[in-house]
Amino acid sequence: MTRHLLPDEFDLLVDADSGRESGFGVAPLRAHLRECAACHDELEQEIAFTESLDVLPHFTPSLGFADRVMADVHVFEPWHVALGDSVRRLVPASTPLRVLAAGGAVGMGALLTAATVWMLAHADLVAFTTDAAAAQLRATLWAGVLGAVAALAGAPASSGAALVLALGVLVAALALAGTGLRAAAAVSRRVASGEPSAHEA
Amino acid sequence: MPPPPPSLDLTNLPDADVVRLAQEGRERAYRELVRRYERPVFSLIYRMVRDRETSEDLAQETFVKILNHIDKYSPEFKFSSWIFKIANNVAIDHLRRRTLDTVSIDGSPHARTAAESAASALDLAAQQESALDELEARELGTAIEQAVAQLRPLYRACIMLRHVEGRSYEEIASTLDLPLGTVKTYIHRARHELRRALEDSRA
Repeated sequence: MTRHLLPDEFDLLVDADSGRESGFGVAPLRAHLRECAACHDELEQEIAFTESLDVLPHFTPSLGFADRVMADVHVFEPWHVALGDSVRRLVPASTPLRVLAAGGAVGMGALLTAATVWMLAHADLVAFTTDAAAAQLRATLWAGVLGAVAALAGAPASSGAALVLALGVLVAALALAGTGLRAAAAVSRRVASGEPSAHEA
Repeated sequence: MPPPPPSLDLTNLPDADVVRLAQEGRERAYRELVRRYERPVFSLIYRMVRDRETSEDLAQETFVKILNHIDKYSPEFKFSSWIFKIANNVAIDHLRRRTLDTVSIDGSPHARTAAESAASALDLAAQQESALDELEARELGTAIEQAVAQLRPLYRACIMLRHVEGRSYEEIASTLDLPLGTVKTYIHRARHELRRALEDSRA
């Protein structure tokens, strides 16, 4: 090479020297440096200057920076992760307890499987028993309602007016209970979020 | 990946794994990302903006943007490139706004009387006395920092990413959304300008 190095060729050598880039194609430039004192000196100065940039320090934000950031960040936990964590919390910590819990789970599983298989094998018996139980439950509930109406009206519940009155009282009681529950939920939400109530505001 | 036991040292995990834990809602992973990048991000913004208080606000804005959208992060890109890209954009946006909102140190142009003008003027002497400004002067007052401050913002960002953060030309191009050749040219010109500024300051 008969000329001095160009500025971008110095950059190439500086980058190769710092080890950050591959240094592809620098061999002929290095050969020139061995023969040219001026380019050699220039490269030394370039390297020294680049090293002074490399040692520029990092600055540190003030104390509590991470806490201030986290105060504005909404950490979102997906439902499947929350579910997995909840299940994992139920698993005992010690090995003997884990073996015991696993044994219990396997036993319960086997029992449920056997019960299911038995019910499938005796479907007609299961259906008959279920029907009989449902009929018994209906009869018991109806008798209870009639008894309550008779107690409220002071007369046998066979009278139509008494039955209508009792139903009206029941509906009114349900409506009142619903309104009360909604009001209680609103108050508890306000308390949880720290909002002032209407009269405080 | 199973959840980290409480004693697991997140500092040994690569960025991609810490980000995945953050995407699963682990607060410790969020904090680890802040710990890893608070100094690099703050330094980049501070050298762009040159005001500690504003830089902290902008660094905080950067982290809040990143962490509140951590579910959008795609692991095919480097996390560091993503965070530096947001930090650089936040700083450049601020510089643009500041250019528009520049206020005369002699007082508001809307002042009608001498008293109003004096009341709205910036008290430079009082500002220089503050501890924060003393710290800034110490941190950014060296000849090389002052030379860096003279560079145009994009040159400054390129030089910081290259020399302070040790990023490759390709990473800088991807971070700043610039062609590779442009990044090399900017860094070459920035180094040239810096050397000339330093030589001038010594002369």
